[in-house]
Amino acid sequence: MNGDSVISIEGATKTFRDFWLRPTVNAVDGLSLEVRKGEVFGLLGPNGSGKSTTIKLILGLLAPTLGRISVFGLSPRAVAARAKIGYLPELSYLHPFLTARETIMYYAGLCNLSRSVAAERTRELLKMVKLEDVSNRVVSGFSKGMARRVALASALVGKPELLILDEPTSGLDPVSTKEVKTLVKALAKNGMTVLMTSHLLADAEDVCDRVMILDRGKSVAEGRVAELGESLEEFFLAKVGNADEFVLADFLA
Amino acid sequence: MNSFWRIFSLEFTAFVRSKSLAMLLAASVAWMFVAPIVFGGDGTEEGARQLTVHYSLGGVAALLSVVLLSSATGSIAAERASRRLQLTLVRPVRYTSIVIAKTAALTFAGAIVLAAAACVELVRQPLSRPCRHVLSPVLPTPQEEARAMYEAFVNDPSTSDAIKKTKKSVVLRFLAQRAFDRYETVGTNETAVWSFALPRDMALGAGAMSGMCARLRFTNDYDMRQDVRGWLAFDDGESLWSGCVSNITKAVVEVPLAASPADGERTPGALSFRNEGKSGLMLRPRRDVNLLVRADGFGWNLLRAYFELVAVFALLVSFGMFLGSALGRPVALFAAIAALVVSEMSPSVIEQYPDELEKDAIDAIGLHITRAVAAMTHPVSSIEPMAKLAEDTCVERREVVRVLVADMLLAPLVFAFLSSLVMPRKTYD
Repeated sequence: MNGDSVISIEGATKTFRDFWLRPTVNAVDGLSLEVRKGEVFGLLGPNGSGKSTTIKLILGLLAPTLGRISVFGLSPRAVAARAKIGYLPELSYLHPFLTARETIMYYAGLCNLSRSVAAERTRELLKMVKLEDVSNRVVSGFSKGMARRVALASALVGKPELLILDEPTSGLDPVSTKEVKTLVKALAKNGMTVLMTSHLLADAEDVCDRVMILDRGKSVAEGRVAELGESLEEFFLAKVGNADEFVLADFLA
Repeated sequence: MNSFWRIFSLEFTAFVRSKSLAMLLAASVAWMFVAPIVFGGDGTEEGARQLTVHYSLGGVAALLSVVLLSSATGSIAAERASRRLQLTLVRPVRYTSIVIAKTAALTFAGAIVLAAAACVELVRQPLSRPCRHVLSPVLPTPQEEARAMYEAFVNDPSTSDAIKKTKKSVVLRFLAQRAFDRYETVGTNETAVWSFALPRDMALGAGAMSGMCARLRFTNDYDMRQDVRGWLAFDDGESLWSGCVSNITKAVVEVPLAASPADGERTPGALSFRNEGKSGLMLRPRRDVNLLVRADGFGWNLLRAYFELVAVFALLVSFGMFLGSALGRPVALFAAIAALVVSEMSPSVIEQYPDELEKDAIDAIGLHITRAVAAMTHPVSSIEPMAKLAEDTCVERREVVRVLVADMLLAPLVFAFLSSLVMPRKTYD
């Protein structure tokens, strides 16, 4: 691991087991990757390829069966490592009885921001995600896109050094999708490291510096987007299956 | 600390905004007014008061115990199932802080509801009605007595061979139970003497000792009552207090003791009973003899009982949190209720089957488990704040402090630590 490395995974394997501890599936199989400071790294792959499991390993929500994972040179479960991470899950998972403002304030509190700093930061983020007008409405009444923007603001509230985005544009309309992409680029430009997963290859092409393509828990390709060929989609399909399968997988996702 | 208060606030807000708190408050206050109508009493003013206090406030405490246990098992388990928990776990918060904050919030909610019910009770009971310290004779513990009896018991030819071959620890337990229930015979014109230790705050002379009673239970398990006559006397070190027992028809008698001239040999702290009846009397010193000394008023007693109940809530909530951390919600709730039932039943099961001298291995295993549960839950099951409050028996300060430290501080910390070990090992898929 060099000094610039933010995430380092060496030979990580995650085997899920049934009630009797019999192995059922290797969700991640001997995966190694390194994400460097300030880059936007994309994890691509069809459904079930191990993208979300890899993210949960990096977040410390799962422990690897084999291999070693470090984030900022620390165990992913170390409080000091978690203090530097912002996470946007695939679905928003907001507390339904809190307002948008309370939700962001809650996560600000978990990042140990003082009340005044948290309030100021919440105001800025609500303005950024364009939810100022509805900031005092409970989030259970929000559309999927609005909930997604609250979740994104919550992920950013602690000013993380590493932002992990699981399908960040899922559920967003084209305008919001473009705004998220612009935001990711701006954050990276300011020095934030971003790890994102997506099955929308266009998103990855637009924002990622480097990508890794996963299939059945294994890395099948890794490199800069430009190095993987003229069209990332063609490269992806060549690596993980034919076009019909991909379209069907996308339709079902 | 900031994150602790955020999680506390979130948990409490959830309890408020889901209307759980409002519904519990309404149900509890309503029950406080309905209970006296349902449990009218036995026709006496004292009986009505005892039933009212016991069932109204006791009913609220029972309701809260079940609701808080259920909410606690769901707090972490349901958040994990809805995947909201992972958003907290990835933040820079210690896992123990998450559990402790949630435990504190639910306990606080329970404390608010109980306080509302207690306020209703305060309004309808005279605050200054005195309660009483219940003192027991100073005797060797049943275990000490059992050890002293052991050699003689196993060498006694009438002791069966089966018992002689049984493990020493089992025989000692059997003898300890026998010691606890040991009867003492007081023959006609004989005097029995029991020694009492007065706590320092009670040994304050005539003012503090006024209203003192001796309580004797002249009965056995078959409720045979006897005609009792005699004299009771207690020496507090400064004065002699005495009272007459005459021709009683009640199983339990409370004899008021009045200051009387002291002459002859003095034995401070000794309660003596001289039997002047026609026949000998039997009573169990550990169960049937007490000295009742005036303590403070109902208001203070209610406050102490309240703290004990809140401490029990904290214990239940932290136990529920631990189960919710380790198991899915339905399994955690089932396990919590099963554990609660077993802990409630274990003392009576042990009393029914005091030893495992029988051969059946299944019975022996069952008794071992029941005994282990009883030993673990003894700190909770042995306190009876509601019964004491109803009978105007003082909920002792020492007991309150012990319960607060054990149930509200140590147990939640232990359960939070165990939860923090279990939580990251769950699969967050």
